[in-house]
Amino acid sequence: MMEHILTYIIFFPLFMAVVLGVFRAPLKFLKIGAMFSSITTLLLVLWLTYNFEPHGAMQFIQNLPWIQNSGITYFVGVDYLSLVILVLISLLMPPLYIYMVHENRKGYWYNMMLLQTGVTGAVLSLDLVLFYLFWETMLLPIFIMIGKYGNGKYQFNSMKIVLMTILGSMSMLFSILYLGYIYFETSGIWSFALNDLAGLALDAKTSIWLTAGFLLAFAIKIPLVGFHTWMAPAYGSAPTPTVVIMSAIMAKLGIYGVWRFGYGLFEATLSYYAPTIIVLALLGLLYYAVRAVTEDNLRKMFAYSSGSHLSLIALGVFLTNIYAWSGSLYFIATHALASAGMFIMIGLSYKRFKTVRISELGGIASVAPKFAFFFAFFALSIAGLPGTGGFVAELLIIIGAFKTNFWIGVFTATTMLSAMIYIFWMLQRTLFGTSTKLCECSDLNAREILMLLPLVLLLLVTGIAPSLFTPFFETQLNASLQDVLTAIGGLQ
Amino acid sequence: MIDQLLLAFPMAIVVIGAFVLMLLSHSKKFTLERLNLVGVLFLTISFVMQYQTLGAHSKDFLFEDVFGRSFILDDFATLFDLMFTAGAILTLLINNDYFKSRRYFSGEYFALLLFSVFGMMMLSHAHELVTAFIALEIASISVYALVGYHKQNKVSSEAMMKYMVLGSMTGAFFMLGTALIYGAVGSTSLTEISAYVAQGELHNMTLLIVGATFIMVTILFKIGAVPFHSWVVDVYHGAPYPVTMFMASTFKIAIFAIALRLYIVNFAPINNFWTEILQVITILTLLGGSWLAISQNIIKRMLAGSSIVHSGYLLIAISSIGLGSELAAPAVMFYLLAYFLSAAGSFGILSFIASQTKGQMSYEDFKGFAERRPYMALFMSIFMLSLAGFPSTIGFLGKFYIFTSAIESGQILLAGLGILTAFISVYYYFKLIAMMYFYPSQTSQEKFPVNVSTLLIAMMAMLIIWGGIGTSLIPFVPGADGFIDSAKQAISSLQ
Repeated sequence: MMEHILTYIIFFPLFMAVVLGVFRAPLKFLKIGAMFSSITTLLLVLWLTYNFEPHGAMQFIQNLPWIQNSGITYFVGVDYLSLVILVLISLLMPPLYIYMVHENRKGYWYNMMLLQTGVTGAVLSLDLVLFYLFWETMLLPIFIMIGKYGNGKYQFNSMKIVLMTILGSMSMLFSILYLGYIYFETSGIWSFALNDLAGLALDAKTSIWLTAGFLLAFAIKIPLVGFHTWMAPAYGSAPTPTVVIMSAIMAKLGIYGVWRFGYGLFEATLSYYAPTIIVLALLGLLYYAVRAVTEDNLRKMFAYSSGSHLSLIALGVFLTNIYAWSGSLYFIATHALASAGMFIMIGLSYKRFKTVRISELGGIASVAPKFAFFFAFFALSIAGLPGTGGFVAELLIIIGAFKTNFWIGVFTATTMLSAMIYIFWMLQRTLFGTSTKLCECSDLNAREILMLLPLVLLLLVTGIAPSLFTPFFETQLNASLQDVLTAIGGLQ
Repeated sequence: MIDQLLLAFPMAIVVIGAFVLMLLSHSKKFTLERLNLVGVLFLTISFVMQYQTLGAHSKDFLFEDVFGRSFILDDFATLFDLMFTAGAILTLLINNDYFKSRRYFSGEYFALLLFSVFGMMMLSHAHELVTAFIALEIASISVYALVGYHKQNKVSSEAMMKYMVLGSMTGAFFMLGTALIYGAVGSTSLTEISAYVAQGELHNMTLLIVGATFIMVTILFKIGAVPFHSWVVDVYHGAPYPVTMFMASTFKIAIFAIALRLYIVNFAPINNFWTEILQVITILTLLGGSWLAISQNIIKRMLAGSSIVHSGYLLIAISSIGLGSELAAPAVMFYLLAYFLSAAGSFGILSFIASQTKGQMSYEDFKGFAERRPYMALFMSIFMLSLAGFPSTIGFLGKFYIFTSAIESGQILLAGLGILTAFISVYYYFKLIAMMYFYPSQTSQEKFPVNVSTLLIAMMAMLIIWGGIGTSLIPFVPGADGFIDSAKQAISSLQ
């Protein structure tokens, strides 16, 4: 059990999808099966978290030969970093399935199960080719979901996100192959395992090029400003469950990639790119915030807001000090919860009011008070309301930024301000005021409250008692930060 | 004597089958369906016999006292023969419905196909240039006739003329090259040529190099490398679907059999000479093929264009061979296997659909296909993903080896360009997937027809997935490793 648990967690949804597909399960069983797979996975993850040793490094490792001729292995393991995202994925799936309960298109359910396997696999793999496999395959469900069940110019937008993301992953593939070859040249055997490749001594020029290959993939996924043109259209077109996964999990995988593979393979070289990325991230903070203020479509608005916050996380990752790092890690979790909640709320509001345009909404609070409460809560936790997890995280990153450089700190601090601006203005226009559209809509029902409550509670707990979570990552985060600092120090 | 006959049997049975089919086709009792089965029967016997001898050969020459050293028996040739026979069997079985749906098919079709397979098998065994030329012509002339099989159709006839005139002309280059090499070496046997190349100096071998370059022209023409590509799209388009499937998946591979044998073994010491030429041609092929594939609207033409790009990937590995990469030769073999499965599968589905509809299939015609035929759409997607080199399919591993071999031989830029064209190819392959899945269907869902064709297509789709992710952990079932091992074994049998 212990040694196979990660494999179960990765492949159980896929297995369920295949079983249900082969037996052509009727819709009812399909829904039950999907729900069952998500809850089983959640239980497995909780059990894993319970048994997780907070001070240990990589745990629950499983390393099997896969394609032996090229040293490609099935190599999975979990540490503090992947645990955070793993828990998030498995926590988000059951509420999403509850959200989808009236969804009668079968493809929706299958794709969601495949998507879960894809993202979980990407987070847990420690072999570069295995990682690449999951990184690419998680695109397929997204491609189909946006292209088949989306809205607006969905066919075009779906193609756009796939092409742009694959452009990034192709450049990453090149770097992976090159690294594998260098390892073969120096040691005489093939291997793509992260811990083997991490020990390679690369000359500066090669290292810079290879890092660029990885960074392009991650920059497109995050997306940093300049690599972002797929984001707003894709978020705008995608169906709600997909948007939730994209903003809460997939965008975070870009950050995760920088952390795991960027710092894992090219500790020193990343500092060569750090100034560029920091500038891009700062630009992103402002640019996305401005776009969010002016955006009328709620989905796109929160796409930009998501981009702005992910830029903040990226900034934190590249500012190598403990405040910024723990802030980023914390923000990965809290932003995922908040943006998941927010996009679910937008989906619910579309179901009720048949629009996601701010200009067409208004006066929600007077007709649907419970809805308005949750809507406001998630919106405010995205803005970083004190008492929610986002506040703690943003504060930490800002402190980290001030530690590095006063002006970077000042710029970073504006993010809280700008978020307040667009969130409050949006709330004012949607919840209050009057709508020209007569709105005869029901308030949230028990099922919807049930799916939102876990997110609310978690956001509150992370905000009020961060000390509950810090022991899980503190020591290890410090240790890896020290590694990186030594490596950078060695360079200078 | 008897054991020599036994060794020749797999090749002989195919040509015997071709003659039998020719005779039977005049009998009224033999419908197309029965003739088809007879053809499959002969090919299957050959396949099974070859399969048993895989790995057991020790570089024998067939009837050395009669033919001299014209025919060689090694694992390399056997693996190619397996692909040829498998390709022909798949072509015959999958297209069963197509033959019935078009009135212009007659018994000779099957005889021609078997003759062509025989020519290819001879080509892969040829160890002497004139033999290789004859083999190449046997295979080519059969294919010319097959391309123009729909006599009443102007497009088909035009394709045949175009292919035949250009093909025969480049065939003459092969002959010319052979003559020049004979002038230099005094023999056309590959053994003698190897010996000559091994002991000579590069600057003394002008005649041989010119001859070998002429041979290369023929090879480049047949695989559709730019600038010898002008026929590919039109010929693939004009030929009936079963013929296109056969050409793309099987005939193209046959050319690589002789190309690899010549340039890995015999010309190995002087391979460096062609590196720059090959690199330029590779770049042209990758870019030109991508351009051709992107600009097409008819699926058949798109696949034809993309088959040029696949030749480009193979050429990357071939120029890596010249630069001394050890991975490159197995990479070519493995890529051929992967391409064989994916191309046969995708053309197979196309011709299966064509057997039930009239008209050319463009991207537009695939709108709503996934709703109409969910399983067929799934298989088509798998083939497209494999052609695009998406991970978890065998096509990804194929590209994986090609690009690592390019990196190994120091052709970093070429590897980069290969990855870039792979990215471009994502566009035109995914476009088809998008068409199938993103649009609602006008008609209701059709039942999945369970017959030999569809089962074979399903089997190939599974093989593609298994070849991409199959592990060797499961006993008795060779996974991706098994494919690579047989490719490596075949290459090592050449040395």
